[in-house]
Amino acid sequence: MTMKSLLSTASLALLIATASAGAQAQIAIGHLADYSGGTSDVGTPYGQAVADTFAWVNKNGGVAGKQLNVDTNDYGYQVPRAIALYKKWSGGDKVAAIMGWGTADTEALTGFLAQDKIPDMSGSYAAALTDPEGTSGKAKPAPYNFFYGPSYSDAVRAELMWAAEDWKAKGKSGAPKFVHMGANHPYPNAPKAAGEALAKELGFEVLPPLVFALAPGDYSAQCLSLKSSGANYAYLGNTAASNISVMKACKAAGVDVQFMSNVWGMDENAAKAAGDAADGVIFPLRTAVAWGGSAPGMKTVEEISKISDPSGNVYRPVHYVAAVCSALYMKEALDWAAKNGGATGENVAKGFYQKKDWVPAGMDGVCNPSTWSDKDHRGTMKVDLYRAKVSGSTDGDLKDLIAKGTIKLEKVKTVDLPRKPEWFGW
Amino acid sequence: MANASLIPAGDFRTSYAADTTIFPTKTSRNTAILGVILIAFAPLVLTGYWLSVLIQIGIFGIAALGLNILVGFTGQISIGHAAFFLLGAYTSAYLNNNLPIPVFFTIPIAGVITALVGLVFGVPAARLKGLYLVIATLAAQYILIDFFSRAEWFSGGSVPASANPFSLFGYTLRGDKSYFYVVLAYLLVSYLLVTNLMRTRDGRALVAVRDHYLSAEIMGINLTKYRTLSFGLAAFFAGIAGALYAHYQLVVSNEGFGIERSILFLAMIIIGGIGSISGTLMGTAFVVLLPEAMEWISMELKGGTIDRALQLNNNLTFLREIAIGLIIIAFLVFEPDGLAHRWRQIKAYWKLYPFSH
Repeated sequence: MTMKSLLSTASLALLIATASAGAQAQIAIGHLADYSGGTSDVGTPYGQAVADTFAWVNKNGGVAGKQLNVDTNDYGYQVPRAIALYKKWSGGDKVAAIMGWGTADTEALTGFLAQDKIPDMSGSYAAALTDPEGTSGKAKPAPYNFFYGPSYSDAVRAELMWAAEDWKAKGKSGAPKFVHMGANHPYPNAPKAAGEALAKELGFEVLPPLVFALAPGDYSAQCLSLKSSGANYAYLGNTAASNISVMKACKAAGVDVQFMSNVWGMDENAAKAAGDAADGVIFPLRTAVAWGGSAPGMKTVEEISKISDPSGNVYRPVHYVAAVCSALYMKEALDWAAKNGGATGENVAKGFYQKKDWVPAGMDGVCNPSTWSDKDHRGTMKVDLYRAKVSGSTDGDLKDLIAKGTIKLEKVKTVDLPRKPEWFGW
Repeated sequence: MANASLIPAGDFRTSYAADTTIFPTKTSRNTAILGVILIAFAPLVLTGYWLSVLIQIGIFGIAALGLNILVGFTGQISIGHAAFFLLGAYTSAYLNNNLPIPVFFTIPIAGVITALVGLVFGVPAARLKGLYLVIATLAAQYILIDFFSRAEWFSGGSVPASANPFSLFGYTLRGDKSYFYVVLAYLLVSYLLVTNLMRTRDGRALVAVRDHYLSAEIMGINLTKYRTLSFGLAAFFAGIAGALYAHYQLVVSNEGFGIERSILFLAMIIIGGIGSISGTLMGTAFVVLLPEAMEWISMELKGGTIDRALQLNNNLTFLREIAIGLIIIAFLVFEPDGLAHRWRQIKAYWKLYPFSH
């Protein structure tokens, strides 16, 4: 019995080994997606876009004539599962690159990535991932971590600068009160120190942070303490679904506060779900335009979208468009690597350093120009702040609601942050 | 007769030693030894993926063994086992990161410290029974997890803590291939320890507490002592397993170790067989392999005709979770005595073949 089962296991293992050997002519890529975990509300469109983009790349000739073999896995936003998948990707046939996701798992992987020389384009924009050499003294070196867009810390800095102006413009006196809200989790915590430090500098009174879970729930208690503390500006650090719960509860409790959200904290779906509770929320947009915006690059995004929606009728939220940009940067870094010594992780990372003010081919007017260097992985310092405008009932199809203008994303301000060394790495 | 290669018809055991022997025949002992030798060759044959599955079975098997002492042999209950597992992981990482103690020693130390904490949380067991005890152990789960997410000096707070690879006096083992042997060694020692524990006076006392606590007390067994002790033992193995897990993953995060993981540990021993040592390992293997198997199936389904016809897309993930739940329910309905019982039946069938009645 034992012998037989062992033999069959061994032969199965051999089979798997030969099967993967047959796939040598491809470039392997690992893809961590969250379709079922705490951030699945925004992880689903992002993950879908990454999968669609690589499928589209494959349809159009792949990278240097080789097809991309993308291993997409739903890891449920759990660090242990991400690490198990990483072990699979880093052992044996090593992947050339990883499209990562959450802050906790990306930070857990940072050391391994550096050791195994595998670049990771994460969905986490934690500022700790921007320091490739650890020179800032604020973070551990993260030489193989990349992301597209402003870091969480830089986004909250820009929001606070806007808030300080907003306070003056409204002619209010005294010090405005700022509060950080989010789960006790690496992702909402990532920009906490940076936001609170700048808020103090700008003359805000910083209130003790309020904790609410990453999942939707009843957050009336948080809204009541928000009300009693008299906060004027509240930063929402979680993802859209749980932020909506807070906004709705606060609307019901009659809290008069200006919400500013993290880049993952607001999108068109969230605005539809929250209804008028989402009206007025400030959030950063990573792309120059949202879905359906007028830009030459939007054609490419629409083509990519047709991979999973041949009808072309689905409205794609901001995270989809941003993920297309992220995946295409990775594709072009792979292109460079394939032409300059082969698509190994080390070369792919070098591929990110080759261009200044880089926009992937065919994405003009969509992806914001980004520059990565071997000393500084802050791709961009420009933060476009938008306001969600919701007027009227949000029942019905999202596409119609946007077309009718019931839900609008309105540009408020573009903040060009200086590339200050004291803002590096945190 | 005790050394015969086959079991004779009839019961010829004439001493207590023969009655409590682990291997009734030479053949069974040789098979076990051969099995271990064969398993030791696994890193040479298996791919990284299969090796990681085996390592997981090994680590979780040790933790489930601890829980089986508590639930299966002492008749207590705990739904806070995952918290002790995590305590072991953090303790070992903390000791190794902050004190000059090599990982080789921090693993057993973490086990001992976890056992001490387990004893503390086991105190309510002296007074509480049944559902009341369940709630008391639930407190352990929440108190410990909350502690980990706040005590930044100890666990790094919400940021995952890092752990070093297995090392001893400057010699470091890297990679799954060598770590497999570390886990195998711990697994063998743990299972031998517990098997032997159940043959001792203390082991029999635990079983007596389970079978009829009143009779046990009348016989002179100190109920408080043995109930608390079983919590300590359970926590000890959870701590050892957690420490092994920490130095395997090299990262300790409190994600995925909430109450659902504690329930999963219970599922392991229920599926394997409550109060069966070999069943514990079978149950662990089942619980570890089930999501993997569902993963293969969903990978096969993905993009296929069924997927397209039913437009499953991303819902496959949820179907997988549902299927895992259904299989566990089906298992409890059709196989209530666990895998260990089924294994005995299979053995009995072949023993009597072709004359089974």
